[in-house]
Amino acid sequence: MTFLQPWVLAALPLVTLPLVIHLINQRRFQTMPWGAMMFLASARALSRGYSRLRHWLIMALRMVAVAAVILAVGRPLSRGWLALAGAGRPDMAIVILDRSPSMQQRGAGGDAKLDAGRRRLAATLDTLAPSRCVLLVDAERPPQELARPVDLADAAGTPPSAAPADVLRMLQLAYDHVREQAAGSTEVWICSDQRANDWALDDGGWGSLRDAFAKLPQQVRFQLLADPRPAPGNLAVRVASARLEARGAGRELVVTVAVTRQDEGARTTLPLKFEIGGATTVVDLDLAGREAVLKNHVIPLERSAATPGWGRVSLPADDNPADNDFYFAFDEPAPRRALVVADDAAARRVLELVAGIPPDKDQRAGADVVDPKNLAAAPWDGAALLLWQADLPAGRDAELVREFIDRGGQAVFFPPESPAPGRVFAGMSWQAWSAHAPAARPESWRSDQGLLANTLSGGALPLGDLEIRRSCGLDGDGVPLAALADGLPLLVRSAVQDNAYFCATTPAPRDSSLAAEGVVLYAIVQRAIERGLEPLGRARQFEAGGSTTRLPPAPWNRLAGPADVPADARGAQAGVFAAAGKLIAVNRPAAEDAGRSVADERIDAAFRGLSFARITTGAGSADSLVQEIWRAFLIAMLLALIVEGLLSLPRRAMPARTSGFPAVEAAA
Amino acid sequence: MFTDRQPRRFLDPQVLSRLAAVPLVPRKPMVGTVSGRHASPHRGSSVEFAEYRKYVPGDDLRRLDWRAYGRSDRFYVKEYEADTNLRLCLVLDTSGSMAYASAGTSKIDYARRVCGALAYLASQQGDAVGISCAADGIVRTLPPRRNPTHLRLVFDVIEEADPSGPTRLPEVLHEIAETIRQRALVVVVSDLFVEPEALGQAFSHLRFRRHDVAVFHLLDPQELGFKFQRPTRFLDMEGGGAIFADPIDIADRYHRAVAQYLDAVRELVLESAIDYHRVLSDEPYEQLLARFLVGRAAGRGLR
Repeated sequence: MTFLQPWVLAALPLVTLPLVIHLINQRRFQTMPWGAMMFLASARALSRGYSRLRHWLIMALRMVAVAAVILAVGRPLSRGWLALAGAGRPDMAIVILDRSPSMQQRGAGGDAKLDAGRRRLAATLDTLAPSRCVLLVDAERPPQELARPVDLADAAGTPPSAAPADVLRMLQLAYDHVREQAAGSTEVWICSDQRANDWALDDGGWGSLRDAFAKLPQQVRFQLLADPRPAPGNLAVRVASARLEARGAGRELVVTVAVTRQDEGARTTLPLKFEIGGATTVVDLDLAGREAVLKNHVIPLERSAATPGWGRVSLPADDNPADNDFYFAFDEPAPRRALVVADDAAARRVLELVAGIPPDKDQRAGADVVDPKNLAAAPWDGAALLLWQADLPAGRDAELVREFIDRGGQAVFFPPESPAPGRVFAGMSWQAWSAHAPAARPESWRSDQGLLANTLSGGALPLGDLEIRRSCGLDGDGVPLAALADGLPLLVRSAVQDNAYFCATTPAPRDSSLAAEGVVLYAIVQRAIERGLEPLGRARQFEAGGSTTRLPPAPWNRLAGPADVPADARGAQAGVFAAAGKLIAVNRPAAEDAGRSVADERIDAAFRGLSFARITTGAGSADSLVQEIWRAFLIAMLLALIVEGLLSLPRRAMPARTSGFPAVEAAA
Repeated sequence: MFTDRQPRRFLDPQVLSRLAAVPLVPRKPMVGTVSGRHASPHRGSSVEFAEYRKYVPGDDLRRLDWRAYGRSDRFYVKEYEADTNLRLCLVLDTSGSMAYASAGTSKIDYARRVCGALAYLASQQGDAVGISCAADGIVRTLPPRRNPTHLRLVFDVIEEADPSGPTRLPEVLHEIAETIRQRALVVVVSDLFVEPEALGQAFSHLRFRRHDVAVFHLLDPQELGFKFQRPTRFLDMEGGGAIFADPIDIADRYHRAVAQYLDAVRELVLESAIDYHRVLSDEPYEQLLARFLVGRAAGRGLR
């Protein structure tokens, strides 16, 4: 049980007051001559069981009454089963708000999970009255002090976000704050809907964070205000691609839209509303099952339509309004230029061909073969991809390549015939060649994302058909994307430079069948070019919560999206923004649409060893989690006094003053 | 009559004058020594007709009813009730417990007034009055006499009664039952703090001796109510040991014990046909005596 005035509990020894008074009273006896000793002797001989029990009951009830008064003055709080966590009044309360789009799900009362949770936390903390209240809404922003806990209920200060909530990083910020501020007992309140992408429980940082909190000298309690209620009928819309194509005298916008549903609902027809340049069109989309895709939907545009442009796809209102809109930006396709640096002629020829053939005949593409000794003269500015089959760059060459990668360019490195020992780039280095006889085949690869992801139709790339005759060993800190049967890496992404890939073989026929089975190599190269084009183009798609280092600096001018977006929410709010001559369409990440919740047991495991409690509530409930219950103690005191009074009443009426013998007296 | 002496504290002339209007009568025929105003079990010469009886040789011819002879041609003797005097034996409990007084009048003072008034009333109507003071035994005793000088001695005994010592009332009553040879009105004024069983045997003994027994059961209001608040060390006024008790703790059991005792007294009184009067010491004794006298007068005529 928690008390708002715990110092009053120091008066609890007063509970013994009735006992002390009783003992003092026993010592202050009087002496009296008495005639009717025979009755006293009889009374002492009679059974004392009930009388003694009543005596002690009365004493106990008096003590209960005193205790109830003291406890009532101490202003006790009811925390339900939270009391099991042994919570008391904290010195500091840290509130971590999950503002991800899924927290916009509406409850029965029409309140979003975020709003309801925020109000409940405000009421709770207002009752708990911690000395300090700190709010964490974002992993990118430092903790902010709240003057009063009720300020938490102010929605303007904590608007919903399009970015996922990085709970782990926010907890790390909370840990840093607790350690720096050297606060006393601390309560960390987490308001979340337990979505898997927000919690990222597979991250190795959870273990170290748990150990760090456990080592803190002060007591830290974690309270999770969870609302994992799913929204079965909720629909989410997402634009997979939007590209501008020339058709005759005009232009067309080719859009691929996917609508997902969290359960297998009934077949229905959805009106998809496209809004482009102020014009609105509605397209019906049949939805059966969990997903429906409107593939390559063509929207004609006027030739004179300004580029870059933007648009929005909307769904009818449902449980969660945050995933009913998707913004996109489009522009004239930039030339698909690639730089090829290769020592081996066969490999160079293959790479030049693969990079120079556009996926669409209307697009311009080309590959520039660059002499490794004259890199500075290469057309770096217009290039989206660097294909490098030579010794890893070093010195000035390395700086040029690093600048290219840092501005968003993609690079795929292939091994040279004789790798220079000790040459390291992007944390990776080539080792010795090894021959495979018979030829090795890729056994596993990442098909969910990255360069080897499945196609839009869901089909896998035919990596299994490749024959790898020779491969070069790789050493360094990288993320394997494809591996051979014996575990040797085939394609690795650098952990230091996200845009740098290392392929363990070359497309030369003596090394592999990458050229013969050209689909895989073509997909890798074209996908890398597609990625490299993003920073080059004037229209960008950006997933909220991603790295903002390559985004244009502030100020951003909002063209579309929610009106109450704070100025500093760059890249965290959905909408279309203009900055530095570019259009940036910001949307929620794809994982938000999946709607997968984390099991309670996994969260319990993440907080194992720490003081942790979960309060699972329904959306829309805004009752305070903590209530003052001093009235109950006053009622208990009254009841104790009433029962004490009843027990103190004489049990037997006093014998009659007169004889009560009418017959005898009348007879006389 | 008290002009030459110091007034008795326990006598109130006004109360006595009011009570004198009601005669003190026994519930049973008395056997007196002289003619009086009370019924006797024997035939006598009063004006109250009793019965006809067949003439037997030796009867006084003057008592023959000639009119009955004329009607029936047989000799009948006409008999009349005999009137005699009353012998009032007062038994005053002078044990230590009679000295208790929670407020105002003590039980012994109350008993003195009752005994004094009854002695005076009996003497005024020509009855003999005697008194016995009972404590550990018969402390003082005066046999019933009729003369005014004897009444003064009775008053002296009443006035000098000193409550002390334990109560052995049943033994005293047994002794009195054996001592008084003729029928008498025995009035016991006591708090009866003795075992009811022994008391019942004593009353049966008195009844067996054909005495008319009246009991004034004196109790103090505090002895009945037991309204103490503080823990108390009770000292036995009759010389026994002390008892320490918390009245709040023991009150209910005390009341239960008192109720059981009174129920037992009620039973023995019903069995012994005792003229029983329970009285608290805060009740005016004039009312008590008036009730006592009127109750007896209502049953007058029984023989």
